[in-house]
Amino acid sequence: MSVTAPATMSPERRPASPFGDRMKRSLRRIAIWVPLLALAIWTIYPVLMTLSISFKTKADVSADPGLIPENPTLDGYRSVLERQGFQDAFLNSMVVGLGTALLTVVLAVPAAYAFARFRFRGRHLLLLFTLLPRLIPGLGLMVPMYRIAVFLGAIDLLLTLIVAFTATVLPLAVWLFVGFFQQVPRELEEAANVDGSSLYTRIRYIVLPLAFPAIITVGVLAFREAWNEFNLVLALTSSPGSRTLPYELFLMTQTTGFQDNPGQAAFAIMTIIPFIFIYLRLERYVVSGLTSGALK
Amino acid sequence: MVTALLLFPVVYAVFGSLFDTDFIGGSPDFVGLGQYVDLFQDPDFVWSIGRTLVFVTGVLVIGIPLGLVFAFALSRATGKLRFLRGVTIVPYLISGIATAVIFRLILNRDFGEVNRVLGFFGVEDLAWFSNPTLAMLASMLAQVWSDLPLVILLILGGLMTVDADLLDAADVDGATGWKRAWRISIPLIIPQLALATILLSYQALTSLGVILALTGGGPVDATRTLPIALYETAFIDLETNKAMAIVVVILVFNALLTLVYWGISRRYDLEAA
Repeated sequence: MSVTAPATMSPERRPASPFGDRMKRSLRRIAIWVPLLALAIWTIYPVLMTLSISFKTKADVSADPGLIPENPTLDGYRSVLERQGFQDAFLNSMVVGLGTALLTVVLAVPAAYAFARFRFRGRHLLLLFTLLPRLIPGLGLMVPMYRIAVFLGAIDLLLTLIVAFTATVLPLAVWLFVGFFQQVPRELEEAANVDGSSLYTRIRYIVLPLAFPAIITVGVLAFREAWNEFNLVLALTSSPGSRTLPYELFLMTQTTGFQDNPGQAAFAIMTIIPFIFIYLRLERYVVSGLTSGALK
Repeated sequence: MVTALLLFPVVYAVFGSLFDTDFIGGSPDFVGLGQYVDLFQDPDFVWSIGRTLVFVTGVLVIGIPLGLVFAFALSRATGKLRFLRGVTIVPYLISGIATAVIFRLILNRDFGEVNRVLGFFGVEDLAWFSNPTLAMLASMLAQVWSDLPLVILLILGGLMTVDADLLDAADVDGATGWKRAWRISIPLIIPQLALATILLSYQALTSLGVILALTGGGPVDATRTLPIALYETAFIDLETNKAMAIVVVILVFNALLTLVYWGISRRYDLEAA
């Protein structure tokens, strides 16, 4: 009985006329295509529109609604490049971004290696504790860090920004690396150990080369954080020469009177492009680093 | 060391919020909870709390369904369409300020693309940044745009773990795609959905750059959420002790969200994520 029951049930439940099946399939296809199209438009169209405006003249922004500008011009970019403070801000952003990426990796690798390889008392608790700061938003740090920086006389120093940003990314970095190091087979290192290599050589020639994707991932994440951070820059800088790009762009939007729309668009595009460029070149590593480390 | 570096400011904030300095450089007076009493009697501050709740709720109401739909669609995008996953992440790479600039342009009353499209459907001339309700909506949209990649990827990650056999079995039993989504996939990804909700509310609760550069808290304080109030108190009125009390209020909201998430993840028997 129990064997025959399903056999008689299923044809009843599923009337498989070829027409109904085709209907169903095309309906299903629409149900996937419409949201995908919406997703692509939602994500890309605002950026494309901004790109388009950045190549228009001020007058054409309202006169010429097309996506492809009729009279393309570089005036918007020129006005930004000539803007006092843009070059400084761009340079500062680069220095702070690279500095943060470097410092984060240098501090996170040894810490994570220790967490992953050595069994010491309270290491689980300590590892959980490392994550605690991640729960504190940058916003909450603004005022206290400002007061501390004023007290230390560290306002306007790029190093202050690098240290502050590194502190905010480190928890994530350590966790990513721990996940990664735990996956590096212990046998590999033990074999090297038997061959008489020191801790340093093991890390240098076995662990680090294997950890390359993770290092790139963490570097890119840290760079992104530093490149895009606004709150802490607002709090920790006061003179024009020490700002980074988001702050400078913010000041540009605050100018009263006639808005330089192509200029703002061009500025936004120029803050986006370098990062997209870096990301596209390294995406391969970032994706594999994230999937092997974090999503474990 | 790291923990200390970040925890110290918080302790400092709590401590600092208990004092009041009459003028810059003056010696601080201990006022106990006086700052908080003042704050909650200040109609502007209470208004900001209300605006924050509206903002966070709006971001969730727009963001979570949108994230769900997009994640479902992406989970079916196989083969050549996989590149869409890379595209999805683009807003995540763009700073809050640049996001605000983009939205100022596409929502512009004179030449904004959104008004042009709406005009085609008969909705004329929306003044996005001078109408209080629309300004709030604009802020929510910009916030959702910038944080949606995280939501989508989280939910997508959940959907990937849903057992394909289970869905096939349901298909054989004649369940429609809609039914399979509601009855099987969504119940199975509740942990990821909860995490996405909490994360999105975190981001909305502490969003300063997007709103500040988009609306500046206006018009008539319609978008003056707690972070904006914090910014104005600390860096325009220079009342840092009062600002630290606001910081503590925001942190308390944050902690409440964390507790909610903890409760959910315990209920679903997860390891601490």
